[in-house]
Amino acid sequence: MSMPSWAPKPWVLFAFAGALVLLALVPLVNSDAYWHNLFTLTFLSITAALAWNWLGGLLGQVSFGHAAMVGVGGFVAARLQVSSHVPMLVAWGVGGVIAGLYALVWGHPTLRLRGPYFSIATIGVGEATRLICTYWSWLTGGSSGMSIPVHPALKFQLYWYGLGLAALALIASFALRRSPLGLSLLAIKSDVDAAGDVGVSSTRLQDLVLFLSGMTMGICGGFYGSFFSFIEPGDLFGFERSISYVLMGVIGGIGTIAGPALGAIVFIVLQQSLIAHYSQLYLGLYGLFLLLVILFEPLGLVGLALRVMKKPIEEQP
Amino acid sequence: MIDLLFSAVLLAGLYAMMAYGLGIIYGVLRIVNLGHGGMIMVGAYAAFWMHEQFGLDPYLAIVPIAIASFFLGVGMYKLLVKRLPRGAAGGVQSLLLLFAVWLILRNTAYLLFTGNDQTLRTSYSTNSFHVATAYVSWNRLAVFGVAIVVLVGLHLLLTRTYLGKAIRAVAQNPSSCTLVGIPVERVYSVTFGLGTGLAAAAGVLGATLFSFNPGYGSSELLKSFVVVVLGGLGSVPGTALAALILAFVEVFSIKIMPSYLTAAVGFVLLVLVLVLRPGGLFGQRVLG
Amino acid sequence: MKNRTTLLMACALVSVSCNKSSAPKEGQGAAPSGSAASSQGASGDTISIGATLPMTGGESRVGGFYKEGYDLAFEEANAAGGLNVGGKKLKVELKLLDDTSTQATAVSLADRLVSSEKVQFLLGTYSSHLVEAQSVVAEQNHIPYVNGGGGAKEIYSKGYKWLFGLLAPVQLLSSALMEWIGSQQTAGHLPKQVKIAVLWENTAHGKDFREGVDDYVKKHQGCCEVVVDESFELQGKDFGALLNKVKASNVDVMLADAHLSDYITMQRQYVTLGLCHKVLSYGARGSEKQAADALGKEHIAYVLSSVWWNAQLGTAGMTKHFVDLFKEKHGGKVPEWYQAVSYETARALFQAIEKAGSTDREAVRNALASLDVESILPGGKLSFPAASGQQAIYPFVVQQNQPDGSSPIVWPKESASNPGVAPNPACK
Repeated sequence: MSMPSWAPKPWVLFAFAGALVLLALVPLVNSDAYWHNLFTLTFLSITAALAWNWLGGLLGQVSFGHAAMVGVGGFVAARLQVSSHVPMLVAWGVGGVIAGLYALVWGHPTLRLRGPYFSIATIGVGEATRLICTYWSWLTGGSSGMSIPVHPALKFQLYWYGLGLAALALIASFALRRSPLGLSLLAIKSDVDAAGDVGVSSTRLQDLVLFLSGMTMGICGGFYGSFFSFIEPGDLFGFERSISYVLMGVIGGIGTIAGPALGAIVFIVLQQSLIAHYSQLYLGLYGLFLLLVILFEPLGLVGLALRVMKKPIEEQP
Repeated sequence: MIDLLFSAVLLAGLYAMMAYGLGIIYGVLRIVNLGHGGMIMVGAYAAFWMHEQFGLDPYLAIVPIAIASFFLGVGMYKLLVKRLPRGAAGGVQSLLLLFAVWLILRNTAYLLFTGNDQTLRTSYSTNSFHVATAYVSWNRLAVFGVAIVVLVGLHLLLTRTYLGKAIRAVAQNPSSCTLVGIPVERVYSVTFGLGTGLAAAAGVLGATLFSFNPGYGSSELLKSFVVVVLGGLGSVPGTALAALILAFVEVFSIKIMPSYLTAAVGFVLLVLVLVLRPGGLFGQRVLG
Repeated sequence: MKNRTTLLMACALVSVSCNKSSAPKEGQGAAPSGSAASSQGASGDTISIGATLPMTGGESRVGGFYKEGYDLAFEEANAAGGLNVGGKKLKVELKLLDDTSTQATAVSLADRLVSSEKVQFLLGTYSSHLVEAQSVVAEQNHIPYVNGGGGAKEIYSKGYKWLFGLLAPVQLLSSALMEWIGSQQTAGHLPKQVKIAVLWENTAHGKDFREGVDDYVKKHQGCCEVVVDESFELQGKDFGALLNKVKASNVDVMLADAHLSDYITMQRQYVTLGLCHKVLSYGARGSEKQAADALGKEHIAYVLSSVWWNAQLGTAGMTKHFVDLFKEKHGGKVPEWYQAVSYETARALFQAIEKAGSTDREAVRNALASLDVESILPGGKLSFPAASGQQAIYPFVVQQNQPDGSSPIVWPKESASNPGVAPNPACK
């Protein structure tokens, strides 16, 4: 058996594994809980931004409603842990699957819409989900939210869970892009009808990507609940959260493999450095970034980096 | 019952007014203006500011605010929107670009006016009169009246003037317009300005009725979208009818469901309309 | 190729799992070193206290009020030379960050305050869901957390050891209103059985408000009947449909629980719809100057409000001292309950530190748990009873707006300067 032809070059694998090991060892030298937790949250954002990009970048369908799946996954996982004492990882998984299914419920019909129509529909989906779930207190505890019992050591350990999730999401991004499957996706993105003509079953593939994206979002929701021990629908389902994934994805480099991860890191760094004293500035600053990216560098930070290194942008059609 | 009926009709006027700016930009430029909500908010704050500073009545402020916003829209078009491809290919890009504009507008309003809710109070804000058993607010009636005047004016503009005919021609087929010598770019920038001005004017009307903060305009944007998709692009009667439908569904849904969920009705309607009638009630295509 | 990758992945996994098993040790290692630093008093002669408040975002207005209360308490303590801790005078320093009214930020900043800024104690932020999220950080880090911004009972039902709350439960807010209504029924001003519409914002606050009304109705069989029971979304822009429903129901009493902006929007539509009820209240809102400005005082006359504190209580003693101090600093501005509660929140922590005689977290926590002191809050006493999950319990004061623009206290009887008017004489 050998690696498939689309596997990354050995040095890339080495670098990836090396970075993972280094990151896994960071807590040994850092005892500051603030930085520790910030890293954990960054891993979570990286995972979510990558999952958003599967839909936004690979299919070209920009979703303004991805918080809906974070919320569904988060509350299902929390409810399972609180009411039925399901183990944490199982609860995350179930939450993820249900979130993925939920994504299919609204996404399967709306994915037929292209471009802006899909985006607008997702705003509607996100807001409707937020309102209905806030009202539906059986699942979410209503507007007062839900508490998950605090395990003192768990929050610390979640660092490695988060790192693992982010690594998996990065591997999945790579596979989705470079595998034959990824090529079919690219075909769909450029022209749905033509892709259908040459035998790419667009509906099934799109549904698969949608499910994966929704499921990952749901797992992130479950993670989020365990991390904060308290979740509330207004926060988890919020439009601001959906917006943040769009910003991370687009600013990092929509459709690139690792761009959204970079976008997530920059987003968190900027947010944290501004928030204590200039918190009112950061959304506007992000708007400005977004504007510049759209006008001058459609591939975002990744495109910028490639341009600086004078490398051809190989993945782009 | 008769109360609800009046509320629905009066609300529909505001919705039609809000939606028209979005509809005309889409109809001609094939761009979804996500900055629309931001311009509604800007209109509201402009009216508020002029009222606080100069004691100018919001109804008198509509015209100057709409004109200023028209030029703002033209500027936005020439500076930003023009650089992007239009139609299906540029759809997502222009969407994100105008979304960025919205974020910047929100942040600017935040820095200028803080995030607190503001209200615009005039001496007649709370005056009302009887019709049968119902109370009708003068203010709401005035908003309705302005909306009707603006919509009729627009209809005349589009059907009776050279500019209007040019706009409609470009909406149908921009490439042949170039051939017959219609300045397509200028029509685009004027249309974008028109849509922006209408959004700001709708914001002024909204400010006389509701309190607002820098986030104001987001649900207005979505409602506008429902109306546009439902009513057809650029069709004045279609817009009016769709606004009526939305307002009636919203107002009367309280009869059958908890009040809290009525806020979700508009959003659900939006998704349903897009999925079930992607062609709109009047048959235009929105599939890519 | 494949083998090498597997090997690498295995290495990564091993390192992950090794760290996982060492994690609790690490976690425990971090906490004691933190508290060791704090028991020495960090930087010698100042006590460092951290807090976040919503200075921007949805709750920014109230955040600003809370800051005024905190600032006043800290200035006062430092002007007196600091706190008297075990015979030594220690100054207090407030490290205040903006949590932007969002939960993740509130938690992250609390983390930052505790682990990077090494604060020794935490004061709370405003609004229940932010307090509830932050209280987890306090519990994990074993650091006393005193808040004046979380009134929802649920926060205190989890058996948290390090959490102390100064806002009395919101249920008492609405039951105080109901008690006044009951007194008016007894006096024959209101019908024997009143029909009530309860409209509550769908938040923890609103839910508790509704529960308080329900509790009262259950306890007083036949006094009243809840005919309309509806929730609405926070920062709703249009309450027309909801108010039409109230109108159709012909109730005697409308009780709403709303934020200031929703109160203003709703009351404006209420007036234009020609509604008028024998009794009308917006929960804790009603007497604010902003409302009078936005609506005109003739349109808020006879509105009842039930609050945690009012400056009219400041006729003597320490309450008067607080009111005078605040007015002096803010050019005659009269403090509202926000500033009073936050001022008292900081003072509760100060008193506990002095009582403990040290800055040891455990000692201060115990001092807070057994605190029983004189206070500017209604009832004049402050304690954090274990029975209510360390949430302070005290009576609410009910005020009623008068046509002349004043809002005298009408309930409880012992603080009332005016019996209140019912039914609303302005209704035709």
